[in-house]
Amino acid sequence: MKVTIDGISVEVPDGTSILNAARVIGGDVVPPAMCYYSKLAGSGGKCRTCLVKVSKGSEKDPRPMPKLVASCRTTAMDGMEVQNMTSPEVIEARKGVVEMLLINHPLDCPVCDQAGECDLQNLGFEHGAAKTRYEFDRRTFNRIDIGDKIQLHMTRCILCYRCVFTADQITDHRIHGILNRGDHSEISTYIQAAVDNDFSGNVIDVCPVGALTDKTFRFKNRVWFTKPVEAHRDCDHEKCKGEVTLWYKGDDVLRVTARKDQYGEVEDFICNTCRFDKKKTADWVIEGPRKVSNHSVISSNHYDTMKPLPVVKANPVLQEANKEQFERETRL
Amino acid sequence: MGRKLLLEHINVPGINTFEVYRQKGGYASVEKALKKMTPDEVVEEVKKSGLRGRGGAGFPTGMKWSFLAKPEGVARYLVCNGDESEPGTFKDRFLMTYIPHLLIEGMITSSYALGANTSYIYVRGEMMPQIRILEKAIAEAKANGFLGKNILGTGYDLELYVQPGGGAYICGEETALLESLEGKRGNPRIKPPFPAIAGLYGCPTVVNNVESIAAVVPIINDGGEEYAKLGIGRSTGTKLISAGGNLVKPGVYEIDLGLPVEEFLYSDEYCGGIANGKRLKAVVAGGSSVPILPANLFLKTINGEGRLMSYESLSDGGFVSGSMMGSGGFIAFDEDQCIVRNTWNFARFYHHESCGQCSPCREGTGWMEKVLHRLENGHGSMSDMDLLVDVAKKIEGNTICPLGDAAAWPVASAIRHFRDEFEWHVTHASEAVTRNYGLAHYADPLPKPEPKPEATA
Repeated sequence: MKVTIDGISVEVPDGTSILNAARVIGGDVVPPAMCYYSKLAGSGGKCRTCLVKVSKGSEKDPRPMPKLVASCRTTAMDGMEVQNMTSPEVIEARKGVVEMLLINHPLDCPVCDQAGECDLQNLGFEHGAAKTRYEFDRRTFNRIDIGDKIQLHMTRCILCYRCVFTADQITDHRIHGILNRGDHSEISTYIQAAVDNDFSGNVIDVCPVGALTDKTFRFKNRVWFTKPVEAHRDCDHEKCKGEVTLWYKGDDVLRVTARKDQYGEVEDFICNTCRFDKKKTADWVIEGPRKVSNHSVISSNHYDTMKPLPVVKANPVLQEANKEQFERETRL
Repeated sequence: MGRKLLLEHINVPGINTFEVYRQKGGYASVEKALKKMTPDEVVEEVKKSGLRGRGGAGFPTGMKWSFLAKPEGVARYLVCNGDESEPGTFKDRFLMTYIPHLLIEGMITSSYALGANTSYIYVRGEMMPQIRILEKAIAEAKANGFLGKNILGTGYDLELYVQPGGGAYICGEETALLESLEGKRGNPRIKPPFPAIAGLYGCPTVVNNVESIAAVVPIINDGGEEYAKLGIGRSTGTKLISAGGNLVKPGVYEIDLGLPVEEFLYSDEYCGGIANGKRLKAVVAGGSSVPILPANLFLKTINGEGRLMSYESLSDGGFVSGSMMGSGGFIAFDEDQCIVRNTWNFARFYHHESCGQCSPCREGTGWMEKVLHRLENGHGSMSDMDLLVDVAKKIEGNTICPLGDAAAWPVASAIRHFRDEFEWHVTHASEAVTRNYGLAHYADPLPKPEPKPEATA
């Protein structure tokens, strides 16, 4: 089955969504997704950041779709032509969605624990407007502890429902869902019940913003001062492979998370023992540094040499010019 | 005087009981359909009638029925949408209260046509009296052999249940209704799949409005072609209009589609004109979610033709100068009403009722509500109007379900047609909180449409 996205054609199997077809191509044509999570069934369709324009329905029925569609929940058809970055309509709609997402989200990234690895921060930077037009109070909530290891701060939540799906599908019984309606709806556990489950910690990893945070790591350090290292251990939980990322500061393991791919999705869900209890280097077999993409703030200041990099390359012409300039400036 | 099909016997005492309803020819359509017709013939008859969904979207009912998937060994369901909660619309409640057997009869005939053996009537939670009335009617019908096993000895089984909802507007959206009926949180589903393929419990399902189902009764009794003779063009048959607002005689009226709006508004048979001798300022023609129109554009289309009460004529002019038939919630505003306040009130409703699933609607409705509240109370600025139009544009079409559109249209249309009233609320802020803008030029005759410039060679 052939799908064309922004003029790039790709062969995908039947039943692939437009978003996943775009991910096969990769690069700039991939629509951003805040709520879709490929490992959680039923997720997606809610945040509307992945809206795309279908300019040709399929080979059989070439009519364009009347409205922009959510690419994460729309199945690609043979011969479909999709416009993402090439459609001004999509760019405009996406900008609108980002603005809506940020209406009730506090703009205090400098004091947020998620800063540096926040999907919403990246999204706002890439697709949003520089200024807000919203001039009213934002909704606020008190912080709630759900269990002794996880903290929920609803103020930052964008209601992507990922954690609800996680609690529903990864853990064996669901005690956590959405209360109320509209912009005052909130993630909550059933009558303040503590989330107590071997896999509950995964809700922290799936959260695209800083609404669900790890209490054992919260405000210990900024994420870009820590070094991600891949490691594994022989976990005795049958569903956990024990493959994780350790986040080092000096010699200390500050936190343990699952390994996340370039779209912020975990490779394997990990159990709470690995996540919260194994924080010594001796518990783990180190594999090597975790690759972090160049544009991420996490990759800055890492693995540097003790000497500063040479300013001028080993080019005699440049060295000569530099010397001349230096002499001229000292003379003046 | 138009012919009454649904409300013909509405004034007969005791029509809400089985005996009186049966004496007046009730349940004839069930006998006719079950004994003399095949299910496909019933569907064909409804198709021929051209009946369009009475819940708001106006999708042809017969077409919807024929889309129903019919896989072997999978149950099919008919669900009646009685979650009527649009501000301004109260026709279904009227029907369920006073002539409940009409709905039961329609449900039996329609379920037979679709091959459903279990059907549900989903009624909004606030309508507890209507729920009791319907349950009583179902019990009466069952006692007389019109429901249950082997109806009228034809071998057709049907169980009918009434399900009270929780009272959320969003549960009137068909997929949210199905979620709620399944016992889940009433969030609209992402389509496709459509309910005709995978609806209630994953089975093929048809969801119809109360009035659409009731209209099946006269269609089967008289034949689809006879029904199609009423009305005009593609708007066939009769429609219940719940007229409210500043009218001499507000209430539920059954009209032939194609009735001139002037006649509906001013004749003594229907609304009887504007109350207290005032003048008409604006009209919301089909429930709160359709675009609001000023009096002059409502009575005449932009081309100077008189408007009719029909799906096509009301939407003449598109969103620029037209409105929609919607669910038939007709609200008239006289010269003393404030459009800004009314728009704020609608926006407040949609803010309260947004389910919070998708971001544009969840955040945008609240934003519009706050800006309108500021305008109404004299703290607005001139840029607010453009802001509202822009926010409405960003909600519209980008949401999972039509609630986002329904929230955006009234705001966008109010600013389009009543911009000077909004601006007056900014320029005369202190005055705006003490008095209203008044009629202004909203009832002035429309300017003559400019003749098209002749093509120059």
